[in-house]
Amino acid sequence: MATPGGPRPGNFPPNYNPNALANNMQNLQINQPNQQQSGNLGGSAPRPPNTTPFGQQPPPFTGIRPGPPPPFTGIRPGPPPPGVFPRGPVPPNAPAQTTLPPNMVSTRPTGPPSVSQPPPIVSRPPPPGVLPSQIGGPAAPSVSGPGPRPGSVSSSPRTAGPPSPTHMSASGPVSNGPPIFAPGMAQSGPQFPPSMGGMPRPSVRPPQQPHVLLSRPSSQPPQVRPGFAGPPTGASSAMGQPAPPFSAPAQNMPPPPGSSPFSAPVPGTLQSSSSPYGMQTWPPQAQQVAPPPIPGPMQQQPRMFGMPPGGPPLPNQSMALNQTGQSKIDPNQIPRLTPSSAVILHETRQGNQANPPPPATSDYIVKDNGNCSPRYMRCTMNQIPCTVDLLSTSAMQLALLVQPLALPHPSEEPIHVVDFGESGPVRCSRCKGYINPFMKFIDQGRRFICNLCGFTDETPRDYHCNLGPDGRRRDADERPELCRGTVEFVATKEYMVRDPMPAVFFFLIDVSMNAIQTGATAAACSAINQVIADLPEGPRTMVGIATFDSTIHFYNLKRALQQPLMLVVPDVQDVYTPLESDVVVPLAECRQHLELLLESIPTMFQSNRIADSAFGAAVKAAFLAMKSTGGKLLVFQSVLPSAGLGSLSAREAEGRSNISAGEKEAHKLLQPADKALKTMAIEFAEYQVCVDLFITTQTYVDIASLSVIPRITGGQVYYYYPFSALSDPAKLYNDLRWNVIRPQGFEAVMRVRCSQGIQVQEYSGNFCRRIPTDVDLPAIDCDKTIMVSLKHDDKLQEGTECAFQCALLYTTVHGQRRIRVSTLSLPCTNMLSNLFRSADLDTQFACITKQVASEIPSAPLAQVRDQATSICVNILYSYRKFCATVSSSGQLILPEALKLLPLYTLALMKSTGLRSEGRIDDRSFWINHVSPLPTPLIIPLVYPRMIAIHDLDEKELDDSTIPSPIPLSSEHITDEGIYLLENGEDCLICVGNSVQSSSLQQLFGISSVEEISSQFTLQQYDNPLSKKLNAIVNEIRRQRCSYLRLKFCKKGDPSGMTFFSHMVEDKTQSGLSYVEYLVHIHRQIQSKMA
Amino acid sequence: MAAPELAQTDPEGIEGVRMTWLNWPRSKVEASKCVIPIAASIQPIRPHVDLQILPYPPLRCKTCSAVLNPFCRVDFTALIWICPFCFQRNHFPQHYSSISQTNVPAELYPNFPSIEYLIPNYQNPQNYNPAVASSPIYLFVLDTCMIEEELEFAKSALKRAIGMLPDNAMVGFISYGTQVQVHELGFSEMSKVYVFRGSKELSRDQVLEQLGLGVSGGRRAGPGIQKGGAGPSPTAGAGPNTGINRFLLPASECEYTLNSLLDELATDQWPVAPGNRALRCTGVALSVAAGLLGASTAGTGARIIGLVGGPCTEGPGAIVSKDLSDPVRSHKDLDKDAAPFFKKAVHFFDELGKQLVSQGHVLDVFASALDQVGIAEMKVAIEKTGGLVVLAESFGHSVFKDSFKRIFEDGEQSLGLSFNGTLEINCSKDIKVQGIIGPCTSLEKKGPAVASTVIGQGILQLGRWSNPQLYIQFLTSYQSPDGQMRLRVTTVTRRWVDSTLGNEDLIQGFDQEVAAVVMARLASYKMEMEEGFDATRWLDRNLIRLCSKFGDYRKDDPASFTLNPCFSLFPQFMFNLRRSQFVQVFNNSPDETAYFRILLNRETISNAAVMIQPSLISYAFNSLPAPALLDVQSIAADRILLLDSYFSVVIFHGMTIAQWRNMGYQNQPEHQGFALLLQAPHDDAQLIIRDRFPVPRLVVCDQHGSQARFLLAKLNPSATYSNAHEMMNSGSDVIFTDDAFDDCILVGYGQGRGVCGFDVIGEKFREEENQLAMRNLQRAKKAAVLFKILSFFPRISSDVGESGASTVATLIVLLVLAITSTAAPLDTEGGDGGFGREKNERDECFLLCVNEKLCACDVRVAEQRSICCQNYCLEKCGSGEVHSCGDLPKKPICP
Repeated sequence: MATPGGPRPGNFPPNYNPNALANNMQNLQINQPNQQQSGNLGGSAPRPPNTTPFGQQPPPFTGIRPGPPPPFTGIRPGPPPPGVFPRGPVPPNAPAQTTLPPNMVSTRPTGPPSVSQPPPIVSRPPPPGVLPSQIGGPAAPSVSGPGPRPGSVSSSPRTAGPPSPTHMSASGPVSNGPPIFAPGMAQSGPQFPPSMGGMPRPSVRPPQQPHVLLSRPSSQPPQVRPGFAGPPTGASSAMGQPAPPFSAPAQNMPPPPGSSPFSAPVPGTLQSSSSPYGMQTWPPQAQQVAPPPIPGPMQQQPRMFGMPPGGPPLPNQSMALNQTGQSKIDPNQIPRLTPSSAVILHETRQGNQANPPPPATSDYIVKDNGNCSPRYMRCTMNQIPCTVDLLSTSAMQLALLVQPLALPHPSEEPIHVVDFGESGPVRCSRCKGYINPFMKFIDQGRRFICNLCGFTDETPRDYHCNLGPDGRRRDADERPELCRGTVEFVATKEYMVRDPMPAVFFFLIDVSMNAIQTGATAAACSAINQVIADLPEGPRTMVGIATFDSTIHFYNLKRALQQPLMLVVPDVQDVYTPLESDVVVPLAECRQHLELLLESIPTMFQSNRIADSAFGAAVKAAFLAMKSTGGKLLVFQSVLPSAGLGSLSAREAEGRSNISAGEKEAHKLLQPADKALKTMAIEFAEYQVCVDLFITTQTYVDIASLSVIPRITGGQVYYYYPFSALSDPAKLYNDLRWNVIRPQGFEAVMRVRCSQGIQVQEYSGNFCRRIPTDVDLPAIDCDKTIMVSLKHDDKLQEGTECAFQCALLYTTVHGQRRIRVSTLSLPCTNMLSNLFRSADLDTQFACITKQVASEIPSAPLAQVRDQATSICVNILYSYRKFCATVSSSGQLILPEALKLLPLYTLALMKSTGLRSEGRIDDRSFWINHVSPLPTPLIIPLVYPRMIAIHDLDEKELDDSTIPSPIPLSSEHITDEGIYLLENGEDCLICVGNSVQSSSLQQLFGISSVEEISSQFTLQQYDNPLSKKLNAIVNEIRRQRCSYLRLKFCKKGDPSGMTFFSHMVEDKTQSGLSYVEYLVHIHRQIQSKMA
Repeated sequence: MAAPELAQTDPEGIEGVRMTWLNWPRSKVEASKCVIPIAASIQPIRPHVDLQILPYPPLRCKTCSAVLNPFCRVDFTALIWICPFCFQRNHFPQHYSSISQTNVPAELYPNFPSIEYLIPNYQNPQNYNPAVASSPIYLFVLDTCMIEEELEFAKSALKRAIGMLPDNAMVGFISYGTQVQVHELGFSEMSKVYVFRGSKELSRDQVLEQLGLGVSGGRRAGPGIQKGGAGPSPTAGAGPNTGINRFLLPASECEYTLNSLLDELATDQWPVAPGNRALRCTGVALSVAAGLLGASTAGTGARIIGLVGGPCTEGPGAIVSKDLSDPVRSHKDLDKDAAPFFKKAVHFFDELGKQLVSQGHVLDVFASALDQVGIAEMKVAIEKTGGLVVLAESFGHSVFKDSFKRIFEDGEQSLGLSFNGTLEINCSKDIKVQGIIGPCTSLEKKGPAVASTVIGQGILQLGRWSNPQLYIQFLTSYQSPDGQMRLRVTTVTRRWVDSTLGNEDLIQGFDQEVAAVVMARLASYKMEMEEGFDATRWLDRNLIRLCSKFGDYRKDDPASFTLNPCFSLFPQFMFNLRRSQFVQVFNNSPDETAYFRILLNRETISNAAVMIQPSLISYAFNSLPAPALLDVQSIAADRILLLDSYFSVVIFHGMTIAQWRNMGYQNQPEHQGFALLLQAPHDDAQLIIRDRFPVPRLVVCDQHGSQARFLLAKLNPSATYSNAHEMMNSGSDVIFTDDAFDDCILVGYGQGRGVCGFDVIGEKFREEENQLAMRNLQRAKKAAVLFKILSFFPRISSDVGESGASTVATLIVLLVLAITSTAAPLDTEGGDGGFGREKNERDECFLLCVNEKLCACDVRVAEQRSICCQNYCLEKCGSGEVHSCGDLPKKPICP
């Protein structure tokens, strides 16, 4: 590990040091026991976290890049690569940029069918059918031969395995190599520092964007690459300019004059990056896949879509369970998650057909060539059943998970912004669908047929273009809206009811006795104080601040005043705003006052003895203050609201004291106590106010009731329980920071349109709905997902495609009104087997989880659990009955695509939300947390990732920072080991009782297990083990967009119990072990069959 | 007791009591025949050089709790005193054992009918220490809905006032506009205000709770509140209500904070839509102020000092809608019940007044606006609490600036601003208190001395007389400016006379000034309280009845009518009262009327007499300043007139004088005399102004100038169009009677049972102009006596006691007393309250209005009048808001 930060003591590399952050925060108010170092990076930095990605950088870089590591991740410790930001909202140059890769097809070596038949299937692991004998013999005939498959691009490299170099060379590594990128490199070097500081700032953005983007890859790839052997790796790493040329060129040259700069490099890049794709997936498989049958098919699966209907038999089937032979089951051979940490290159369409997306949890780079990226929208199945009967037979549900502002991979091409001028985007005059690549132009381009409603429209005169010989418009490749699945249109006046609102951030802080004494107030103030610098720069950014206990205190931050003026609103039954203006002021005018104020709030209320908290009233009052503009209201709350409007009672305790009623009606506690808050929330939404709730508490706060407000206003609940002034401020700060800097939009309206035959049945997520067809989102950000369940209202034609279009009208943080349109077009099928083959496990399971979560408050827990199981059983039963060819009843046959469904379902039933023990608030939070959660985060939430960290230095991390996960079973945990388990929210570190003290010393700076306290902050020590651990944690943070709450768990004490409660494959008091569960399901299917 | 001489410089004397009748008729019937009710005016804590202050508590009668006084019979040997009220024999306590014929305690000295006791603080009798007495509280309530300039004036006035407060005075500050902002002065970290919504009515408990002062039940007189108050810091003594010290700080501690706060205070930020009035929540602001003071220590004197810049338009107490096209209510609207906000607002302020009274706190209002601000509605709260009101056009105007300054000027000590007084009245058996009209509130105690019929702030009715003397004892306890509790005991005695034997005793005991003021207050009171009350007619009738009872005349011979000199001024007073702003309300806004009445009800008899009948002094070469006839004829080109009508002081230069002055003669050494002549009225005016609160408006004008109307409005229009050619003498002026109330001439002639009636002769009047002139001359002679007094009035006032401004501090109460008699018990319930019962005496008096021109049946004249009215209004408020001009007097009763 290099220590670029030169002057700093050697043991504190520039790498992210959470403690530094903690120290900083704690310097402000909290007593920090071991003050390590307040080491900030350079001057810039109360925020060291930056470094994440670079921690792993190969040394060569350090030379090139002076100073502290790259910015991006720094900005957001855990979260996604920074490169993204600038891009998300507004690629300024985009509109002008008509340069799209000219038809890729032609240049792409692996193009359409021509190359399509990559024979290499050979190398695939044993065909699925081959089941280990113990399990009961081959379950199903082996899958289709590769033959008929229209080989997709990726398949070839993948199956080819090592040959990647070849591909590289084929695509012209030379041209791809240094020469081409050299300029970019040169720039990227120097560019770093600036982009680092000012990354999120708009000022920096426009000109530097390309570099930023470019630089991103550099940081990214290293993670990806290491696994590479051979030239490419060397080249890329050495250059620091990781190969993923992919997006690089495009971005690097802003508006290439009508050129096709793309064409040359792109294909190459594609190639080169696609090779890792294939390569990478393999190795893990090869290693891990103990149960031979499963992985194989899984891998194949995606590639088979192109298959002509009625093609080869299903590739799937897995395992047979002998009812009686449980004991014979080798737990190691049952289906398990086999994640690959290598980057996958994904093209959304290939050969003019939809390409099924990679698993949601995997790391992939998307090339949008018609369909939108799966990040923005993915469907539970990648082929659409033609009839409702077919769908219901499958027992699966048809739904979309839409995440319109999802964070793209830094190497992906930015979304193009298209400006149609005053006329606005071209739309279908009947269904109002937006122009997209699937609209068919006819009649010399004079008319076009809407792919959503089938209506034929006149092409607007100035949008007319002749058709080429292939029937496409000649300009199709130059117009993003005709060749990209996702584009952003500049909205015209027609799309505004008022001027686009400014970005308004209103902070509301609990200063009641509890909040003060637990340090929550201090933590909040300090977090806000640091975050001010990250708020979008510009004259239109407004801030306001208020505190509350049993009254509400506003602050007049107007610059003219000598000091802030506190305005107390004492009437908490009937609130009002104390000033018409001046409570919410432009950030530029009040920065000093604001900082002064935030520093003094904790001391000002130091001796506050008011225990009551008028949460509802405070929120309402803050709302009134920002009503004229709308905006984000960030509330820091520490206790149960006990005064004023919308006050709540400690009904959890009441429920407990009244046991009989409590047991029976337990789920009632998960429903909001009354309608008051809901009514308020609807009003908030109407005025475009989004509420985010940061709950820093040590007691019951009735999240079930409180969460109604964030839920309806498109906000989010953050839950810190039990709040610790020592370890939580860092997370609070990072969460808050991410909250304000992540790509987001305001005053949004979203609608999903579908082709004829399908319609939207329901939306679910965090939003407010006033009319059935639209979703109102006072605010939406990259982390919010909306589930859209679909239903048939007609038959679809086999062989056609069914399109889904999600249009999101929103205002950017910089006050531009935009319409982001994502279109996904999927083939329709009449074959049940196709449905199963194309099922998207992650999406399906996310939908099931969301659905189940929403049921919890309204039905007894047992019933909900049964429901979860029966969903799983029904799907498997349908498959068993209609698709599986084997008739042995003694076998449990799982569709390849859904083979993990039982495991996930089991995990779901043992999750916080469905566990019968546990606190009401925890469950409420879980329910609420799941609702807007994107697919890639739902999976780990339910089935966490566990890795061993005691042997980090022994293992040569082959391909990625994070070691391969271990199945969640206590069998895999030894007394000598140290394990890290994370679910996207919490990160538990379990220390066995006989751990070598040297490991402890190296990792945590302690000598024995006894010294561990459950609250701790991770520090980095000057030893490889510690550095690796930090690198891992930072990588996880980045992946999860979350800082993670770190907790120590010791085997044998309560904290250890917590840890082991995550071992979902174990048998527990309340739940079956994985094997038992499979048997259980098998029985149920059998009884249905009978 | 001898009848007071009119020239006596100090008619109230040490007692501070003046009565309409010195000698009382024996029976209720007789009393009612006296027409003018038996009434006493008292200045409960009138300062006096001879006043003794006794440092021990008073002795009280066992049964009636009357205090030992000079009229008690004392048996020095047995050490027993007999209470003159109930004849109870009381033993002197131990510490009085040394008294003897030659060693009499002060309270028994006949020279001291008034005496004051220092009462040990009843809350903490053990360690009473006068030095620790609670400090007075000043809570300033500032309107911010005004233009910048006005606000600056108000702010600087406030700053100056705060600078003048004694160090220990507790100060609080509230500003308001659309919302109320209570400033927490004790919060050191930053400026902190509590904001209350202007549209919501709040109870005291809500206010306290919301200010975090909690609801503590034992706020009143809870023991221990003063405990621990031994330290000099007033904050230490606040006991359980420490919270209040967040808002109220000693002036010395918060002056800096307040000044910087005022510096930053801007006009109200809430937007005002065009065509609308600013949203101003005076009502809520005052009730929040009252609520806040509710948390102060019981018995602490406090004043809410409100600076109001316009009408309340928001929340409770609103007097007008925010729409500028709706004018503020006029008298006509009130009459027609077309003022939708009025009743609600009055009710609100009534409740507020009650709350303040129960807390013992005072509401002062300083209003400054071109339009009305709602004094008419607030009057009830101000009067009940005995607050001060000043109505000015601008906070920059001297009427406000100087008046405001005067409250604080020499520290409140010399102002004698005392707090929390209660007046207790003990009287002989045959008398009961019927009520009080004045700035005070009835505690609504029922007792043997309280009549069942209530006048004003209800309470005297008479039993039978059994003693030739009657006694009344006034007990006033109050908190002096330095925080001490005091009890002033004033015991007076009067003689019963048998009026059936002759009127002589009664006549000799008649006090015309008091009677005039009593009638004025009664008339004002009735106008406010009684629906459709016709004050002019009521005054006329009572005057006629009085004259018929006490006048001498031969039947059918109007010329034979004479009145005893003791009554000679009374008709003059009535004449001017009829024309005064108290009765003729229609040229004034309801606010002005309320303002005038508040002052009428508060001021001393002498000052009130000036309000009723202004004094006019004429300055000329070769003569001393002399009282002049209150008549147009007094105007002369070579004279300067000084008119004191209480609310304004007018210096009026005759035409010649004005010309000379304009030529600058006064600057030439050879015309020193002229300079002196010019200066003299100014000096006198300053004398008047200096001693008066509120400061009167000083108008300096020239004959024929526009400002001259201030003088002309007060003069008797003996020269009008109709007789101008005859009356015109050199330099005199003509008053256009269209806009002034016209003269009424009373002519008596016998009729029926020897009772005299007066006819107001119209045509006859015109025919006999000579006679009129004669009459006026006669009146002038009578008036001269009065004028003499009045002209000296200011100086007299300043001579009284040491405190020239004492009138501010004193409370003038008009007691209306009632006599009951078994001889002819009359139903005292209902009716007029026991006097002026025309119905019982069908005396066939009738009245004819001379001034037919004003008769509403004459449409043409009415129109002219309304035009004139309009012009007046336009000129007056300058705001372009036309007060509705239908303000015509009601149709006079024509026989």
